[in-house]
Amino acid sequence: MQQTSEPRLRARTFTCMGTVISLTVSADAHKAPQAAADELEAATAVVERLFTELDSIFSLYRPDSEASRLVRGELALPEASGEMRARYEEAAEWRLLTEGAFTPERPDGALDLSGIVKGHAIREAGMSLLALGMANWCLNAGGDVLVGGSPNPGTDVPWRAGIVDPADRRTLLAGFPLGGAAPCSPVGKTADGGTRVALATSGSAERGDHIWSVTAGTAEFRQVSVAAVDVVTADVLATAIVAGGVPMLNRATAMWDIEALAVRANGELLATGGFRR
Amino acid sequence: MRIRAAVSAALASAGILLVGWQSGVHVADTRSAVAAAATGNQASGAGTTDSSGTASSGSAASSGTTDSSGTAGASGGAGAAGAAAKAGGTYDGDVVQTRFGTVQVQITVKAGQITDVTALKLTDAEGRSVQISNYAAPILRSEVLQAQSADVQTVGGATVTSDAYLTSLQAALDAANL
Amino acid sequence: MNTQLLPSPGTGTPMRPDRRPAPVRETGRFAGQHRGRLVRADALPVTAWSSLAASVALWLADGGLTAASSPAGLVTALGIVAGLAGMDLVLLMLLLAARIPFIDGAVGHDRALEFHRKLGKPSLYLLLAHGLLIAVGYGMAEGLDPVSEAVALWVLVPDMWLAFISLALFIAVVVTSLVAVRRRFPYEFWYAVHLLTYAAVLTSLPHQFSVGGLFAAGTWQRWYWLVICIATGAALLYYRIILPVRATFRHQLTVERVTSVAPGVVNIEMSGLQLGSLAGNGGRFFIWRFLAPGLWWHPHPFSLSAEPVRTGPDGQGRLRVTVRGLGRGSAQLLRLRRGTRVAIEGPYGLFSSAARSKDRVVMIGAGIGITPLRALLETTPFDPGRATVLLRGHSSQELYLGEEILELCRQRGATLFHLTGGRDPGSPDSWLPAAEHLAGYALADYVPEIAHADVYVCGPSRWAGNVLNAARAAGVDEDQLHHERFDW
Repeated sequence: MQQTSEPRLRARTFTCMGTVISLTVSADAHKAPQAAADELEAATAVVERLFTELDSIFSLYRPDSEASRLVRGELALPEASGEMRARYEEAAEWRLLTEGAFTPERPDGALDLSGIVKGHAIREAGMSLLALGMANWCLNAGGDVLVGGSPNPGTDVPWRAGIVDPADRRTLLAGFPLGGAAPCSPVGKTADGGTRVALATSGSAERGDHIWSVTAGTAEFRQVSVAAVDVVTADVLATAIVAGGVPMLNRATAMWDIEALAVRANGELLATGGFRR
Repeated sequence: MRIRAAVSAALASAGILLVGWQSGVHVADTRSAVAAAATGNQASGAGTTDSSGTASSGSAASSGTTDSSGTAGASGGAGAAGAAAKAGGTYDGDVVQTRFGTVQVQITVKAGQITDVTALKLTDAEGRSVQISNYAAPILRSEVLQAQSADVQTVGGATVTSDAYLTSLQAALDAANL
Repeated sequence: MNTQLLPSPGTGTPMRPDRRPAPVRETGRFAGQHRGRLVRADALPVTAWSSLAASVALWLADGGLTAASSPAGLVTALGIVAGLAGMDLVLLMLLLAARIPFIDGAVGHDRALEFHRKLGKPSLYLLLAHGLLIAVGYGMAEGLDPVSEAVALWVLVPDMWLAFISLALFIAVVVTSLVAVRRRFPYEFWYAVHLLTYAAVLTSLPHQFSVGGLFAAGTWQRWYWLVICIATGAALLYYRIILPVRATFRHQLTVERVTSVAPGVVNIEMSGLQLGSLAGNGGRFFIWRFLAPGLWWHPHPFSLSAEPVRTGPDGQGRLRVTVRGLGRGSAQLLRLRRGTRVAIEGPYGLFSSAARSKDRVVMIGAGIGITPLRALLETTPFDPGRATVLLRGHSSQELYLGEEILELCRQRGATLFHLTGGRDPGSPDSWLPAAEHLAGYALADYVPEIAHADVYVCGPSRWAGNVLNAARAAGVDEDQLHHERFDW
């Protein structure tokens, strides 16, 4: 793969949900540059609107959001919007599946669906992009990644994602191929032949106490990355493993078709086969 | 006669409970071995520990192929690996019945250190054992898939705030592609 | 003459027993049968306790103890064990009520039902504890209060809503079965509610196999549990439905005639086919359903009051029960029409020769309880002079079938006493008429060798209790006492 044949990538970013969302597309060589640019602008607008709408419902930083009203007790869950109830149901199901390692509630009992909303937003955005007819793209929302197709349109070349080193955010700890058909790299393949297109990473020391540790105490893992065929699964399990420690890691790798890379508090690594060289 | 019934009932119940408990202890042992391996140091990777340490992590790795609620019974693994550790070569472990199916473990030993643990035989029970070989094991940094910031197209990491984004690798990538 | 009929009452003369100590020589012909029955009777509690232990061992063998290391895990583990033990008790209850010949022949129908009742509350408590502990344990693990956890389980976990319904049904069944509540409802209502047990068990099954990790597909524990559940269901189906239906079609019973024995007491004679197979069950009871409008759904437990009589070449014959019109349903029986078809289940119970352990036999009956003794007297083996029959009633009219019994005693060489007259109001513990009681007679005066005899007692429960106590006082071993409860 020479640098000269590397296709031109175009990216757009916007800020939402307290983080930055980047949409990168690989420009099709057969398309006029201006048409491609317009297409990217339109797609970014769609994705941004989707994120903004979800944020307006679920943000706990906006006092007027539905989630804030729920937390303040002004609204009961049965009266909440269908969107809110659907996300709650999804989160509650994950809580059961993860035996409580993932939970939609803060330790004080307040409802907090932010653990699932970002993944959901990425999932919806991915579906919108496919609906727009876009085949080759990479969506990165605050470090959680979902890709479509290949960075090199018309080929099976996977997107190459790097995972930052939690000890030094300017360097990469590991890489992982996402999407593409990855014919020569079977690790990107799932057991049933699907392709892992999502990579989510959770940390124990970011954005305050975003992840509640089940084992009350200092988290066993500093950072956990999970690659899966579906971004919500990747996101939820990464969160759950940070909260649930090694037992949850073992449970997750046994029950779901995922690859995982976990960084212990002391910097040591645990990884599934897909993360090995 | 009542006494005969009471004594027989007590003996039978105690016997059954004892058998259950014994087989449960067996499960418990291997399960804690799994935990030990998972929480242990990077013995198998680093190869800095002595042969007994390596052996125990080998046994653990072979039984660590199940999730926390599962069972595995690679009790023979430790002994096999212990012997293997001295000799070097490739060794097949015991065939072990787990609730996920039948598992046999192959251990590769080089210079007294376990360098690889592979599941040889996986019998599919309700499709669950397919994933049995997928587990997270201790690994050295040099052993993970490497990536240089120059040749990745996106960067994943624990939730990056908008402020942190400005100095992040992802920001540099995005800037390059604007 | 071994038959001894003392002057009829009304003369005021107490019946004088003849004190004749008899030498005790056992032929031992019932010893083997007796030992076998005791072994079977002992095997039942051993099996029951073993099954309970096995249900816990299933969990232990799965490494259950390791899961109980955290507080939440401990609560959940206790919940799982309670559920396993509770379900095991429920299965035992069903087996006890399944009228399995092995159980019936070892301890008798009424004792089996007594154990069945005794298990009711423990199993409910265990199942309640199961639900509560699981909700609390899961809730602790997920940081939820038990109520939210229960709601989440109901909504999110497949088959759990059925489990909730099952628990509600179990509560309903046990509450209605509690004696206090039972008395306020007619028997039929209680019976209908009891049928809900089957619904409760069936609705509890799915979650055991789909949610319980212990019974995950491919585990031997799943097979064990499946086998005991299916075996219990098969036993119920076979012994409570298939066998009775088969017996009903086989014997084709119809009411032949209803004749009056005494005021309010009738003989119901029935004719049918292949009655030979029902012979030899003197004293055991059958459950009869007279298939007439308004009567067909009401089961009546009656003993045969006479051995089947053969009337035709192909096993055609006649049999008879003697009934007193006490209950609502029984009163209607007095007006049964000829030709009414009869469904039959049985025979059940241990009030028969199968319970014999000694050569000597004593039969003591009062009121309508005399009638099963009549059939027992007809068939149970004894040598002349080794049987005594004591009949108790307010008047000689209440000694139902007294003439027939006298004739049988003459034929077979049994000693017969008629004990008639009112009770002594000052001695509620006495089973004798006032005159005999005041004269100082005791059971051993009528049957000096009673300590070496099987004693069959049938009558009103209070009176029967007094007789049993008198027999115990006379040195009769508990294994020799045979008592049929008719007030269930």
